[in-house]
Amino acid sequence: MALVTRFDTPASVRDLPANSAFYDDWHNFLAGSLNTTAATGTATGEFYDASEVNVNVLAERSLVWMAFPRQVLVAHRDDRRAAFVEADGDVARRDPQNEYCEWHVTRDTAGKITKVVFVTESPEYWQRLWAAHRAAVVGLYQTLVDPAVSEADLRVGGPGSDYNQFNRFNTTDGIVHLIQNINTLSAALGLSQQSIHTGAARDNYETPPPGLRTSVDPRVKCDIGALARTGLSLTLREPIGLYITGYDDTGWTKPDGSPVDDYWRIVRGSPGRILRLAYEVPAGAGFVVGDLLIGGRRIEWGGQIAEHVTCTVAGMAGTRGRG
Amino acid sequence: MKPGDTDAPIDDQFGDLMEQIGKLEPELPKDISISALGGDPAEELPGAEPEPVYDVKRRSNIQGDIIPGFNKDHQHFLFLRLENLQQAKQWLKWIAPLITSMEEALAFVRVHRALRLRLGVKEPSMRATWVNIAFSYRGIELLAGTAEAEAFGDQSFRQGLAARSTYLGDPTDPQHPGHSSHWVVGGPEQEADVLVIVAADDHGDLVSSVQRIKNRAKQSGLQLLFEQRGDTLPGPLRGHEHFGFKDGVSQPGIRGKVSTAPGDFITPRYLDAVDPRARFFAKPGQLLLWPGQFLLGEPRQHTEDLYSSAPAAATGSSFPYWAALGSYLVCRRLRQDVPAFWRFAIATASTLGMPTLTFASLLVGRWPSGAPVMRTPAADDAALAGDIWANNHFIFNDTTRPSMLRPIPGYAGDTFPQAAADLLGSVCPHFAHIRKTNPRDIATDLGKPHDSMLRMILRRGIPFGDPLVGVKRPSQHLLRQERGLVFVCFGSTIEDQFELLTRRWSNSPIQPNFGGHDPIIGQSDRRGARERFIDVPAPGGTRRVTLDDEWVIPTGGGYFFAPPIEAIAGVLSA
Repeated sequence: MALVTRFDTPASVRDLPANSAFYDDWHNFLAGSLNTTAATGTATGEFYDASEVNVNVLAERSLVWMAFPRQVLVAHRDDRRAAFVEADGDVARRDPQNEYCEWHVTRDTAGKITKVVFVTESPEYWQRLWAAHRAAVVGLYQTLVDPAVSEADLRVGGPGSDYNQFNRFNTTDGIVHLIQNINTLSAALGLSQQSIHTGAARDNYETPPPGLRTSVDPRVKCDIGALARTGLSLTLREPIGLYITGYDDTGWTKPDGSPVDDYWRIVRGSPGRILRLAYEVPAGAGFVVGDLLIGGRRIEWGGQIAEHVTCTVAGMAGTRGRG
Repeated sequence: MKPGDTDAPIDDQFGDLMEQIGKLEPELPKDISISALGGDPAEELPGAEPEPVYDVKRRSNIQGDIIPGFNKDHQHFLFLRLENLQQAKQWLKWIAPLITSMEEALAFVRVHRALRLRLGVKEPSMRATWVNIAFSYRGIELLAGTAEAEAFGDQSFRQGLAARSTYLGDPTDPQHPGHSSHWVVGGPEQEADVLVIVAADDHGDLVSSVQRIKNRAKQSGLQLLFEQRGDTLPGPLRGHEHFGFKDGVSQPGIRGKVSTAPGDFITPRYLDAVDPRARFFAKPGQLLLWPGQFLLGEPRQHTEDLYSSAPAAATGSSFPYWAALGSYLVCRRLRQDVPAFWRFAIATASTLGMPTLTFASLLVGRWPSGAPVMRTPAADDAALAGDIWANNHFIFNDTTRPSMLRPIPGYAGDTFPQAAADLLGSVCPHFAHIRKTNPRDIATDLGKPHDSMLRMILRRGIPFGDPLVGVKRPSQHLLRQERGLVFVCFGSTIEDQFELLTRRWSNSPIQPNFGGHDPIIGQSDRRGARERFIDVPAPGGTRRVTLDDEWVIPTGGGYFFAPPIEAIAGVLSA
């Protein structure tokens, strides 16, 4: 594989004209975050920066994990209802949603869910976009959340101040990107790179350190660690990003008992590389999301849908080339 | 081709394959002692967390099909509906003493093993007839009251199999033969309140026992909705399912002891203490699980740790007090369309340019003998299949390290080539049935392999119907007969064990890993579209193969609860 000349934006989205300096800035951010590093412990492979190192790619592999936080699920092992309540509960910080996927629930006046939006976009992207073109960020918020959004709603202070990722249109009144404390692209990149250091582990039973209660962290640690033990060179596949790759509405039914129609809508990204996914029954159907049943159970929380949303990050493995 | 189209022509290749598989006979290790009675102190691991002791009283309260399982050649399933409750309760009092406990079944197994050793024969002449019983949510509600039934925390159990059918991928199209409206039992308005399982070594014993129970049930006003006879396949195919593959090779080992005597474990331990895997494997490849994964109220598997226990779910909040030591039972009557499976295998193998048996074994992950593809990728190996210390010893992501076993008299050790690392699924594909339903060391969409241990079930199924395997030229009459599997499993949750394995992994082309659906039991139903696919390893990548036919069709079943034996003549018939 040829060297990556410029790291692309997640899902290759184009929020600014192609000639914007923003894209070089994004490349520099990623290139600065990735370091070519030899593995340690029992592994003999390496993590490499694809903009610096040429590798003959032998295989690509997409790692998947459940969007609903496993940590919450196992904490309420005998009470799924309590897990759903907790996962949906913290709309200001979305702290329980720590699987690099967060969601926002919209309800009607009767309290029924009308829409659930899932995102995997990183705060780093939006901070850099803000720095490059505030009006574009405001325009995107207006399109994605509410036409009434103004620049003042999105900044921390007066004119010219920094972007406020905890603005109300990305917390209580909507969602645009990840805000949970550890849901950053930097954290994901760090996890990927650190995972080549497998210590004394000889297999996955010996790999995950205690305390990793999420799905995603052990998943990445196990898979990258095992690849590193094969002696291969590893990196993340372009365009580097955190994505939604699957959603499964098998066995979901309308109020009349018939199977649901396809109510999913990819708002940003593309199939397999979804950045923003909405679940909403079209107006005029005579019912809303909160009237649907999953396996005979009425949808009362966004987390019930999140259980059936699958996230992914893609990697590549190969051997060092000569060119 | 529609599912169930048994009139489709079959060719010579099909007959040849059926004949070939019918001749398979796994080689059993010779002159090997298996676990001393009363335990072996050397099995104890220094510093290990003490495991619960199941004394006679507790063993006598646990139904024997849960532990150690009814491993009988003949079984009969009675699906009953409660009518007159007072009479039904009398019937329960009558049947309660007939229920076989863990104590009886385990004693039989131990004596059987001892006789094998002493007499040096494979099948010493011993016979028994065993009975177990389970109840649906409605059955418990009728017998013990709504409050008791609602105290069961597993929502899927409370809903029942029919209500969860399409969630499990069953057909949504009412015209499809697998739609719940066509089920022989367990569909809407046809759900059984009581399931009785009778198992026997001898056909005649089974028939007379079943007849006795049926007669008494009829006199007590119970309605027999459906009955199903099950038999292991004959001769060398004993233990195989109808497609011809050895089934049930891999079962979890249950932690716990029969007595306080050192080493008197329910599941014999074969790994030497110097092997760190002795802390979580009973024998190579057999993971040890805390009994609360299968028995309500017992210490369970820790969610983050391979060998520590976690407290049981609290009595009263997750199940009624009287349900402790009981287990949820899932029953699925699955029809197998053997010609359809092999038609697909023959045609696809030809397209891919590989031998049919090789391709079919990739679908399962084991060869017909039961030998794992991971350990013998090129050809079947009956000797490997017959070696119980080797036939389940492999992991997927890393090269499998040999196990260090305690001395086993007469056993020369596992000398078969160990499995090489197969992280990318190029040897045993990601879609392979055994890789989907038992990911072993693989990380999954739920994280570390420790989590996968929470999903394991005890499988207790048995085939039904006359086999085609072993028959070179089957008659039209034989071809048209129904055959399949009465799938039965036990667990302490239906939703997080059976349903998760089925929906989240078997039915998904991307979970636990990308690579396609489980081509054996996986189903897909997207608004009526039932197409599945598999990504078959090929030089330079994979080739996607579409599965536009179905060979496992649901035809009935139910969600039940197998209570502790004391509850049958107690709270359920009070």
